[in-house]
Amino acid sequence: MTEFFPPLDFSDTFWAPWATQKDFAWNAQIVGMGIMVSLSCGLIGSFIVARKLALMGDAISHGILPGLAIAFITTQSNALFPMFIGACGAGLLCSFCIEWLHKKTPLKMDAALGLTFTSFFALGVLLITQMGNNTHIDPECLLYGEIGFTPLAESIYWGSVEIGSRPLLSIGLVTLVIILTITVFYKQLMVTSFDQTLSVSLGLSVRTIHYGLMLVLAITIVASFESVGVILVIAMLIFPSTTASFFFTRMPAILLCSFPLSIFYSFGGFFLARWLDCSIAGSMVVVAMVCFGIAWLLGTENGILTNLFFRKRTILDHSN
Amino acid sequence: MEAAQVNDEVNLISKTYRFFSFADYSVQVVVLGVIFMGMGCGLMGGFVVTRKLSLFGDTLSHAVLPGVAVGFLWSQSKNSISIIVGAMIAGFLGVFLISLLKKTTKVSLDSALGLVLSGFYALGICLLTRIQKMEFGNQSGIDRYLFGQITGLSNQDVWAMGISCILIVLITTIFYKELLVTGFDQGFARSIGLPVDLIQYFLWMLLAFSVITSLQVVGVLLVSALLIIPAATASIITQKMRSLLLWSALLGMVAGVIGSYLSFLGSQLPTGPLIALTSTLLFILVLFLHPENGLLFKGLRLRGKERKIALENTLKAVYQELEWNKFSRDTVRLGNLAKRRRISMPEMYQEAIHLVNKDFAFLLPVKDKTLPSENTLSLSPTGWSEACRIVRNHRLWELYLTNEVQYAADHVHEDAEKIEHVLGDETVRKIERILSNPRTDPHGKLIPSQQDIEQGYIDKMIAKNLP
Amino acid sequence: MSKTLLPLEVHDLTVSYNRKPVLYGIDLEIEEGGLIGIIGPNGAGKSTLIKTIMGIVPANGGWVKIFGQKGKNSYRRVGYVPQRESVDWDFPVSVLDVVLMGRYGHAGWLKRISKKDRIIAHECLEKVNMSLFADRQIGKLSGGQQQRVFLARALAQESDLYLMDEPFAGVDAVTENAIIELLRELKQKGKTLIIVHHDLSNAKEYFDQIILLNMRLIAYGDVDKTFNKDLLQKTYGGRLTVFTEIADQSAKNEHVEHESK
Repeated sequence: MTEFFPPLDFSDTFWAPWATQKDFAWNAQIVGMGIMVSLSCGLIGSFIVARKLALMGDAISHGILPGLAIAFITTQSNALFPMFIGACGAGLLCSFCIEWLHKKTPLKMDAALGLTFTSFFALGVLLITQMGNNTHIDPECLLYGEIGFTPLAESIYWGSVEIGSRPLLSIGLVTLVIILTITVFYKQLMVTSFDQTLSVSLGLSVRTIHYGLMLVLAITIVASFESVGVILVIAMLIFPSTTASFFFTRMPAILLCSFPLSIFYSFGGFFLARWLDCSIAGSMVVVAMVCFGIAWLLGTENGILTNLFFRKRTILDHSN
Repeated sequence: MEAAQVNDEVNLISKTYRFFSFADYSVQVVVLGVIFMGMGCGLMGGFVVTRKLSLFGDTLSHAVLPGVAVGFLWSQSKNSISIIVGAMIAGFLGVFLISLLKKTTKVSLDSALGLVLSGFYALGICLLTRIQKMEFGNQSGIDRYLFGQITGLSNQDVWAMGISCILIVLITTIFYKELLVTGFDQGFARSIGLPVDLIQYFLWMLLAFSVITSLQVVGVLLVSALLIIPAATASIITQKMRSLLLWSALLGMVAGVIGSYLSFLGSQLPTGPLIALTSTLLFILVLFLHPENGLLFKGLRLRGKERKIALENTLKAVYQELEWNKFSRDTVRLGNLAKRRRISMPEMYQEAIHLVNKDFAFLLPVKDKTLPSENTLSLSPTGWSEACRIVRNHRLWELYLTNEVQYAADHVHEDAEKIEHVLGDETVRKIERILSNPRTDPHGKLIPSQQDIEQGYIDKMIAKNLP
Repeated sequence: MSKTLLPLEVHDLTVSYNRKPVLYGIDLEIEEGGLIGIIGPNGAGKSTLIKTIMGIVPANGGWVKIFGQKGKNSYRRVGYVPQRESVDWDFPVSVLDVVLMGRYGHAGWLKRISKKDRIIAHECLEKVNMSLFADRQIGKLSGGQQQRVFLARALAQESDLYLMDEPFAGVDAVTENAIIELLRELKQKGKTLIIVHHDLSNAKEYFDQIILLNMRLIAYGDVDKTFNKDLLQKTYGGRLTVFTEIADQSAKNEHVEHESK
């Protein structure tokens, strides 16, 4: 009979993963993957949350599933490009269906959203369970990802030079794209998120920016779902910026917060999973949840303690 | 190859027979289970969807996962009771956290839902993967709770489903009025002294019941499909709460039975996704084919309306053409009509055929087939009165806009083009009274009078052309 | 044809919301350099009018020209101050960030905000007496302060035509005076300002010209000609029953037509 909480063997949990060169290379890939997934999701998620699109992210992450499955069935491989096309197609179809149902039928937004993404998800699960066990994607993988298998993935070669493993490379690329997109289009993203009328008067197309953002979101989800699964991706999108918003009130600060937070999530989740011998991706989100809880308690902006001690002052502030 | 196919067919038929004869004990259990589930979820879904809380239902269904795990850990077996209690507590904690986040922080509602949904789910995944590694954990099988597997349904599970279903039916019937009022208008409900928050929590409890008991069949991830889709389908069929609930329960049951039948056919087919997809299919069918609200019939009716407008426009064009000739002739050339209506000759010919089919006009074809525009049209008595009516509507409305609403004369035409087709007799009379039976429109043209209509065109022509 | 392009020209503008007509056949030709108030009862379509001018609400008929241009490019010379309720006050931006957004059109989209833009933004904040709050998150301001921030942003835009939706709503007397002073100053510089206003008591002293609106244009012209009992009664008085009835019907019909496309 094993205990639920095994005794914490300090050296085994914290030191052993890095002891030999082989272990180090193996585990560094896992942690690196975790950092990049939570970083890319956290950065794009800051805008998703600020635009109140968190549930749209939820819907899209469920909605890409049939696209992935069909791409996989037709090409019989998990090559990045077809998967990407399939996922983006399904994601866009999903958001289109939601909008169509919302506009053309008496359904309210929440019902349209829930109906569409559960249907897409059910179709995806059905397709994937019918693909048999010989495939790389299996139900467990979509539910909580297989970040632990990152080092097992095949490598990509440039000629004969090995550049790195496929998932690491693709998430690295996506992270780069996101950082670039945010730095280049920061102003557009801010204006369209904050004040659509101002964007109109500045000659910006709100629709284009919206769909651009949705596309980047779909790319991020595709690159991440293999490691953390389609549902934990949502956590990765929402937790960093909401946690940061308990301390910072400006977008650049919230975006920068994603960097330390993603490092912390990844290491924390890795050690927790090693100690308890459970899902790494799940542990990363549990760590994120703990961070959120601490921020909620101690945060300088609307944290529980701050509100208790400084309530009087804020009331005065608002009255003038 | 052929033999295998025949075999398959026999297999399909025998399996269908086995399923629908309910001879097997296991089939009885399954069917009873999905009927309870469909009814419970359908009813609860009706309340959830009409309160615009669909995504709360989704969040709640994800949030019960850690509770399931803890309940399992507690009893170290598949004991229904401890799992249900655990799931209840987790579900409530989730809902409570959402409202706490909403009250104490500036996190927006959609983010709060996402936080609780994914956070609790992750916790559940951690616990379940951990349990799998423990000695007694092998019997659990995570897939069970995530996607549902109907074959493992035990007597005890069906009992739990039955009890929760009966509870839901009873409570929703007893408190129907209260639930209706709080769902429709919270402020009013509060003002008449109803404990709105208490009722809300009550609803959550029932919802949690139906979610948790359905876990075995459809799994955490797809319970929300069962909550949302039948109710959404019902909301297209009807707008009345009572029949919406009934439809929703019925659709839930039908989807449950068909879905589990489909999963019974194969060996590896997961029940949850099949039930969800069956309800989606039902939704699509209703969305397009419902006789009153279906998009297909709506589209057909719309086409009928458009056709009517086109017809009326042609009649108007005939009138204007006759008027342009100072009512000296009784026929008009199709070429002139096409120019007036700004449509092509073939289209115009189609329109003329429509008029003839409706007995509004006679077509007098020319002998020379190469000159279709030389064909002429002459109005029948019904066509004439119809044409007069349309032109009268148009000109009366123009006059009303200019005189009473003080529109500029160059604004009124476009508006009248639309209004002329929707004016009823009563409104026309009202306008005539307001304008005290006018004779000319703002552009100085005569408004066809009731007398014109009754007199008929031939008489008018004769009267006009008499010296 | 006028020699100089009019700041705003509206022709036969018709708008309906959820099948209900809100504006009906509005015609306006507004000359440069004036302080113009839009006045009418609740639900008269005042906000809808300027939202439609800005292209936020789609029109069912008619057109809008801004400085002789139609459509997307015409909005560049317009500064818009939204209604306070329509802004997400929890958005993670500081006061200075908001004012800087007004400079985005000048700075060029792919370039960084320059030092000059920052100086201008600070000057604008100074003008509305909000410099002290530059680093505050916008949600942590009082109603009047929030309004001043948006005014500062409009100033930073350096537009030629300003459309403001109830800038005096929920604002204390001191702020109201400060705002009206600022608006007059802008008018002196030849800007055109169109302001949605709901308070009849001070409309006469605030504005040069008045647009009386109730679903349709009742009157437009100089204050002394339009601000009289007759026209106001017409604006605030009963509606034309047959007209609204039919307009309702036609709107429903239009909606159906719309669906078919």
